[in-house]
Amino acid sequence: LFVASFVAHPAKDLSGGDSLDSELGQVVNAFPGLVCTALPDGNADFVNRRWYEYSGIAPEAARGFGWQRTIHPDDLPQLIVRWMSVEAPDEGRELEARLRRFDGQYRRFSFRRAPIANAAGRIVKWCGIFTDVENQRQAEDSLRESRDRLRLIFEGLPALAIVTSSSGDLIHANRYCLDYLGATFEELKDWERGHSYHPDDRPSVLAAWRHSLETGAPYVIEGRRRRADGVYRWFHTRGFPLRDGKGNIDLWYLLATDFDDLKRADEAVSASERKLKLIINTIPATAWSTRPDGYCDFLNERWLAYAGLSSAEAEGWGWGSAIHPDDVKGLVEYWQGCLASGTPVDTEARMRSHDGVYRWFLFRANPLRDESGEIVQWFGTNIDVDDQKRAEQAVLASEQNLRLIVNTIPGFAWSASNDGAAEFINQQYLEFLGLSEEEARGWGWSSRVHPDDLNRLVSIWANARATGQPAEVEARHRRYDGEYRWLLVRTRPLRDAGGAVVKWYGVCADIEDRKRAEDALLARERSLNEIVNVIPTTAWTTRADGYCDFVNQGWLTYSGLSAEQAIGWGWGSILHPDDVGGLVEHWQFCLASGTPGDTEARMRRHDGEYRWFLFRANPLRDETGTIVKWIGTNIDIDDRKRAEEELRRSEAFLAKGQRLSMTGSLSWRVSTDEMVWSDEAYRIFECDPNLEVTPGLMFSRVHPEDVPTIDEMVKRARKSCRDFEYEFRLLMPDEKVKYVRLVAHGTRNHDGGLEYIGAVQDVTQRRLSDVAIGKARSELAHAARVMSLGTLTASIAHELNQPLSGIITNASTCLRMLAAVPPNVDGALETANRTIRDGNRASEVIVRLRALFEKKEVPPELVDMNDATREVIALLSTELQRKQVMLWPEFATDLPPAMGDRVQLQQVILNLLLNAADAMSDIKDRPKNVVIKTKLDGKDRVCVVVKDVGVGIDPLTANRLFDSFYTTKAGGMGIGLSVSRSIIESHRGHLWAESNDGPGATFTLAIPRMTDDEMGARFDDALRNSTEIVAQSLAGRS
Amino acid sequence: MATRALVSIVDDDESVRESLPDLIKEFGFAVQVFPSAEEFLASEYVDLTDCLILDVAMPGMPGLELQQVLERQGRDVPIVFITAHGNAASRTRAMSQGAAGYLLKPFSAADLLDALHSALKPK
Repeated sequence: LFVASFVAHPAKDLSGGDSLDSELGQVVNAFPGLVCTALPDGNADFVNRRWYEYSGIAPEAARGFGWQRTIHPDDLPQLIVRWMSVEAPDEGRELEARLRRFDGQYRRFSFRRAPIANAAGRIVKWCGIFTDVENQRQAEDSLRESRDRLRLIFEGLPALAIVTSSSGDLIHANRYCLDYLGATFEELKDWERGHSYHPDDRPSVLAAWRHSLETGAPYVIEGRRRRADGVYRWFHTRGFPLRDGKGNIDLWYLLATDFDDLKRADEAVSASERKLKLIINTIPATAWSTRPDGYCDFLNERWLAYAGLSSAEAEGWGWGSAIHPDDVKGLVEYWQGCLASGTPVDTEARMRSHDGVYRWFLFRANPLRDESGEIVQWFGTNIDVDDQKRAEQAVLASEQNLRLIVNTIPGFAWSASNDGAAEFINQQYLEFLGLSEEEARGWGWSSRVHPDDLNRLVSIWANARATGQPAEVEARHRRYDGEYRWLLVRTRPLRDAGGAVVKWYGVCADIEDRKRAEDALLARERSLNEIVNVIPTTAWTTRADGYCDFVNQGWLTYSGLSAEQAIGWGWGSILHPDDVGGLVEHWQFCLASGTPGDTEARMRRHDGEYRWFLFRANPLRDETGTIVKWIGTNIDIDDRKRAEEELRRSEAFLAKGQRLSMTGSLSWRVSTDEMVWSDEAYRIFECDPNLEVTPGLMFSRVHPEDVPTIDEMVKRARKSCRDFEYEFRLLMPDEKVKYVRLVAHGTRNHDGGLEYIGAVQDVTQRRLSDVAIGKARSELAHAARVMSLGTLTASIAHELNQPLSGIITNASTCLRMLAAVPPNVDGALETANRTIRDGNRASEVIVRLRALFEKKEVPPELVDMNDATREVIALLSTELQRKQVMLWPEFATDLPPAMGDRVQLQQVILNLLLNAADAMSDIKDRPKNVVIKTKLDGKDRVCVVVKDVGVGIDPLTANRLFDSFYTTKAGGMGIGLSVSRSIIESHRGHLWAESNDGPGATFTLAIPRMTDDEMGARFDDALRNSTEIVAQSLAGRS
Repeated sequence: MATRALVSIVDDDESVRESLPDLIKEFGFAVQVFPSAEEFLASEYVDLTDCLILDVAMPGMPGLELQQVLERQGRDVPIVFITAHGNAASRTRAMSQGAAGYLLKPFSAADLLDALHSALKPK
C-alpha cells in the first residue's frame, strides 16, 4: 500500500510528462520492483527502469501492450482480467504471475495495482507493481513439500504414531494406529488411557507414561496392545518430548512398533538356545568352543566336571592346566597350527580328571565359518579313549607274545588259507604228527588222518569253507608212534572288514581218553535213560541255575507236553496257579542254599485235572563240591493228599464231636504201657497235652476211693483181652471231682500185642443229676416201703382185729352170762362156740399171710459169681459212692460157676453190700472200706465174702441175726438176712456172719460149685438139644 | 328202769353183729342190729334209737357220713364209733362232729359200758 500510494503520486505527475528525470523519477526507477502504468484496457504508457532491466524489453517496446509479452502466457489472462477489472482495488487480493526474465527464466511476481484518478476523481489509469517473490515462493514450496512428505511418512508409518499434548492429551494418531486399534480418533482419546494395553501390562505402561509426563524423561516401554480383532501383540513404544525455545515441553511424540513376531522369535530362540545348552551340558561327552584366535569361551559341564575346574578357571587358556605336562606343549603347538591354517583338530592328549587321574582323550574340533568363509568360532569335543589306548597298547604287547604262546601251548593250533591248505602248524601239533613243518603244510597233514575219517573230515572242511561257518569234526589222527587217537578239530574263519574270509584258524584237541570214557558213559547213559524213562514216576534234571534240561517220559506222559515245551521253564505252565508262588520260592531257596528240598504242589495232568505231587530234588555235585545239576522227581501224592484232607476233616469232626460230647478217646498198648490220648481226653483229665501219657499219669487223677476198683480193672485188662466199661471218679488238683465213664475194647494188634481202644466220657453233669435223682428215688422208695408196710400192717391188723374183737366180745358175754344168777348157760355155750369160731377165723388169717411168703422153686442156671458180683457192684456204685463207701474187689481167678437163680443170688449179694454200707453209716473216724471177695473154699463151694468195718455184731444177738423181723436198724424190717438165708439155703448153701478181728463184721455166702458131672450133663443136654435142633431142621427140610 | 334205752348197732362185720347185741343186752339195753347205714336209715328205729354204735369203715355209706346225715336231719343221737383201723385223724374228726365215744377193736366190755353210759348221760 505504501508503495502503491508512493507510486501513485509520481504517476499523477507522470501522466503530465514523458520523462522522469526528476527526483521522483529517480526514485521510481530505483524501486526494487517492476512498475508500469496503463490505461484500464492495458495500454501501458510507462514501465520503470527495473522492468527494462529485468525483462530486457526496451521501455518503448514495453509501452502499449508490449509489456504483456513479459507475462507468462498461462498467467496473462487472469492478469488482464484483473487489470481491466472495474472493481476497486481490494487489499490482500494479490495475484501472482510469472514474468519472463531477460534470460528466458520465469520468476514469480506478486502483482498489485492501484488506481490513478484525475482531479475529478475518475480513474484514468492504473499503476501496477510486480514484486519478485520467486525466492520466497520457492522456500515456501520446499517447506510444503517437506511437510507433505512428513505427513505421508507419519500416516504411512507401519507403527502406531501418536502425538499428544504436554499433558498427554491425544492430538493426533496416524491411520495405522486407528486401523490397528480399530477405533476412531474420538474413541482413541479415551483409549489411550491404557485400555488398549494388555491387562497384565497396563499398570506398568501407565506408570511409565505418567512418570515421563511428570519428568519429561523419554518414554520407553514394551507392552502388548490389543488389535482390532482382539489379538494382543507386543509393541515397543518410544516417546520423546518436543520442547519450545524456552525448553518447555510442547508436544509428545509417541511411536509404538509392533515387534511381536520378533518377540516370539526371540522367545523361541532363547528356548532353543537353552535347550541346546542343556543338550550340550548333558551329552555324555565333553564339548567346548573357542573364538577364532583360540580363546576358549565355552566348556560344557561334563568337561568341567571331569577336570574339576570351574568355567572361570578353564575359559581362556586355563584349560591347559588339565593337560598332562608331557602332552601340553605338543597339543598347544598343534592347536596353534590348526588355528592358523583352519584345518580341523584331531589329536590325542592326556587330561587330568578331578581326582588326579590322567586319561587319554581324543581332541577333535572344527571351525565354523561365515558366508564369506571367515572362521567365526571353533567347536570341539574331547572323547575319552583311555580304555582303547590301553587295549591298543596291550594288543601290541600281546602280539609279541602270541606266536610264542601258540607254539608252546599244550594244544594243536593251525591256520589255513581259504583254499584249505595249511599255512601254519604249531610246534606241538607237528610233534604229535611226527612231521616237519614243510611236510605238514598244504595238505601234508592229511596223510596222518585215519583213512575211515578222512573223507568225512575233508568234506566238512570243504563245507565250512564254502559256507564260511565255523566247524568242528572228530577224526582219528595217527600219532608219531603209529597209534591212532581221536582229535577234535575246530576251526573258525577270520574275516576282513568287508566280511570276506581271509583265513581259517583252527585247534585240535586230543579227545581219545574222553572219547573212550564217553563211549562207556554213553552206553551206561542209554541204559539209565531207558530206566529213567520207563520207571513209573516222573523225573527231571536241571542245570545248577535251575534251568530244566531234561524231563523223563513219565513226566511228559503225565503232563501231555512235549519235551521242548517242558525244557527250560516251560514245565512251570502246568503248575497250579495257587502253588506257583510257593514252589518257586522253595525252589529258589534250594538253588541258593544248595540243600535238597521237598515241597508239594499241584500239577495239571494232560486231561486238565490237577493232582498233588511231592517235588523232591537233590543237587549233584562234582569233586569240588560245586553243584553241577539238580535231579528231581515228582511223586503223585494226590490220593494221599486227599486221604490226608479227608483224615484232617474227619479228625476235625471227631475232635468237635469229642468236644461236644465231652468224650475223649484213648488207646493203651499193654506191653509197653504206651498210651495215646485225644485232645479231649487230655482236657477231661486236665493234663498238659505235652505230657506223655502213662497209666501212672491216669492213676494220678483217679479219685483215691476209686483207685482199688480201677487197679483191679487194669490188672484184669492186662491179663486177658476183653471189653470193659467202668464208671469212676477223677479228683482234680483243685479238689474238683469228675465222674467219667470209661469204655474200652480189647484187640490184638498186628504183632499180637494186647491193645485197648477206648473212650472216656465226662459224665459229671449226668452223674451229679443221677446222684440227685438216685437220692430222691431212694428216699421215695423208703417212703413207699414204709407206706406199704403200714398198709400191710393195717391190713393184717384189720383181718386179725375183727375175729379178735369177736372173741373178746363173746368171751365177755360168756363171762357175764355165766356170772348171772341164774347163769345163762345156753347163752354162755353159744358165745363160747362163737369164740372158738372167731379164733379159727384169726388162725385162717395167719395161714393166708404165710402163703404170701411162700417160696418159689429155683430154676437153676449156670452162674459166674464173679460176673454176678460185678453186676451188683455196677448197680450199686452210685449208691456206694453216695454213702462214701470204698469198695475193694478181690475176685478169684478161675472161679468155677455155680448153679442157681442168678437174680436171687444177686439179691443176696446186694443185701450184704447194703447191710455193710448201712453198718458203716455212722462211722466217722475211719475210711468206710468194704472188701468184696470171691473164692473157692476147701469144700468146693463158691464163696462171696463181704467184709465191712462197721458197727459189728453184738455177740448177744448174733444168733438172732437171721431171724425174721429181727433188726438192729431203725428203719429196718428185719427180713433181709432172713430172706437171704432162706435163698442161700434153697441153693443148698450157707450164709453166716462173723465178727472181725478189727472193727466190723464179715458175711459169707457159700454155695456148692457145679461139679464136673453136672457140667458134663449140662454139656450133654446142650449137645442133645443142638443135635435135636439140627435133626428137626433137617426133618423140616425134608 | 321203766323202759330200756334202745342201742342200735350198725356194722358190716358179721361176728360183731353176732356177739355185740348179747353183751349190750347183758348191760340191760334194748338192741337193734343193722349191717349197713342205709338199712338203719330206712328202718323204723332211727327215731327210736337212744344211742348208736357205729362202725367207721363200711362198704357203702361209711360211719362218719352217717353221723353227718343224722345231724343234718336234726336227729341228735349220741354215737359211739368202733373201728379196727383206728387212727388219730379219724378219731379227731369223729369227736369234732360230736361223737360220744371212739373205741378201737378189740375193745373190752368195760370200755364199751363206759362209752354207753357217757353217751346216754342226760345233758
